[in-house]
Amino acid sequence: MLRICGVSKSFCGVKILDNVSVEIAESSIFGLAGLSGSGKSTLLRCIQKLETPDSGTIDCDRKVGFMFQDFQLFPHMTVLQNLVYAPALKASAEEKEKCVDKAKIILQDLGIEEKASEYPGTLSGGQKQRVALARSLMIDLDVLLCDEPTSGLDVTTMADVVTLLQSVNQEFGVTIIIASHDLDFLTRISDRIVLLRDGTIATGIYPKQHDDPIGHLKSYYS
Amino acid sequence: MENCRHSNQSGTSAVHKVISDFLYIGSGVALTLKLLGGSVSVGLFLGVLFAVVRYCNICRSVVSGIVSVIRGTPVILQLSVVYFIVPQLWGCKLDIVSTGIIAFGINSSVYVAEILRAGIESLPKGQFEAAYSLGIPPFQMWKDIILPQVVMNIFPALINETVTLLKETALIATIGGMDIMRRSQVIAAGQYEYFVPLCTAAVVYYLLVLSIEFVGRKIEERKTAC
Repeated sequence: MLRICGVSKSFCGVKILDNVSVEIAESSIFGLAGLSGSGKSTLLRCIQKLETPDSGTIDCDRKVGFMFQDFQLFPHMTVLQNLVYAPALKASAEEKEKCVDKAKIILQDLGIEEKASEYPGTLSGGQKQRVALARSLMIDLDVLLCDEPTSGLDVTTMADVVTLLQSVNQEFGVTIIIASHDLDFLTRISDRIVLLRDGTIATGIYPKQHDDPIGHLKSYYS
Repeated sequence: MENCRHSNQSGTSAVHKVISDFLYIGSGVALTLKLLGGSVSVGLFLGVLFAVVRYCNICRSVVSGIVSVIRGTPVILQLSVVYFIVPQLWGCKLDIVSTGIIAFGINSSVYVAEILRAGIESLPKGQFEAAYSLGIPPFQMWKDIILPQVVMNIFPALINETVTLLKETALIATIGGMDIMRRSQVIAAGQYEYFVPLCTAAVVYYLLVLSIEFVGRKIEERKTAC
């Protein structure tokens, strides 16, 4: 269980998160909906400890991985090096070989094994997305934070991302927290969705138990 | 006939003289390159150290003070301080090459630090965050993730700094270093003729600068191809 208790965060006097409290079940897919500037990304960054909350606590002792909105792949490394670099840092020669094998299997699962020796600069948006996901999966994480994972993707690639995240969740039991303004995507993938508005939780639903989850969430947008 | 032979003889000896002067001046290249190599190494090492320390907010004001003082005083003064004052304080006499490497290296380091600072600040903050998220320790993050990208971005500026440094090494003549510049001055003073020796020194410096630029361009092309 990941517990967020009364988290507030301000930047330059502007309150981005205001007393946010929520509990996220293990091995679930949790959606954070909201318009731009509602505090979704800031909440993810607080969970990952990239930002320190002004007040409140985040109770998470699990290994957390972050998939950035703009991927943040290392441009001077090949795709394979991007995947292998971090896990191989403290590994023995034998473990390093295992890392490379694991990376190749993940790339194969994601359908981009032929890109292993290419540099991120040569990849399309969807391919970069997959590499970013593959890199996160390399570190045996328990919680995966995804910031706008479908932004800029076409419908087909978006469907692939849904399948991919669901398989990661089911096969590895990884808790996935997704921040997105795309309600269609969120309702398709999430077990539970919380909508943030002006830094506070406006509503929360279980989309699979709801007749019109998108309509319900949209009604809180205005 | 007599006149013709005489003019031929004087022409041959003039060519001989020019060649021997060129070789004499050119032999100063060894000292210039020693100074350049040493001070580029010192400058890069200290420059990286200053830039990283400043970025990480460790002793920021001390490093900023050092950078400010070194940028704010002439190289010739720094050279004199290292050559004349440091031995008085520490009781050890430095040779000319060591003096030059230390003085030019320290001077260059602050410019390298400033170039690096600009390079680090131009890198997306997300690169640091991605490294943190992947659990990469700070030393490896700087060594393998941040600095390789920064160096690629600032490479042309570093080449420029190297060229500047090469020309600054001519100041070693002020403490008696027999480099290209000093040798051309010696010849000029001996013959009361400045045009040829100084032009020769200019040609040698220019060829060195072209070589540095050529090597820099080749490295850049190779890196860009990656």
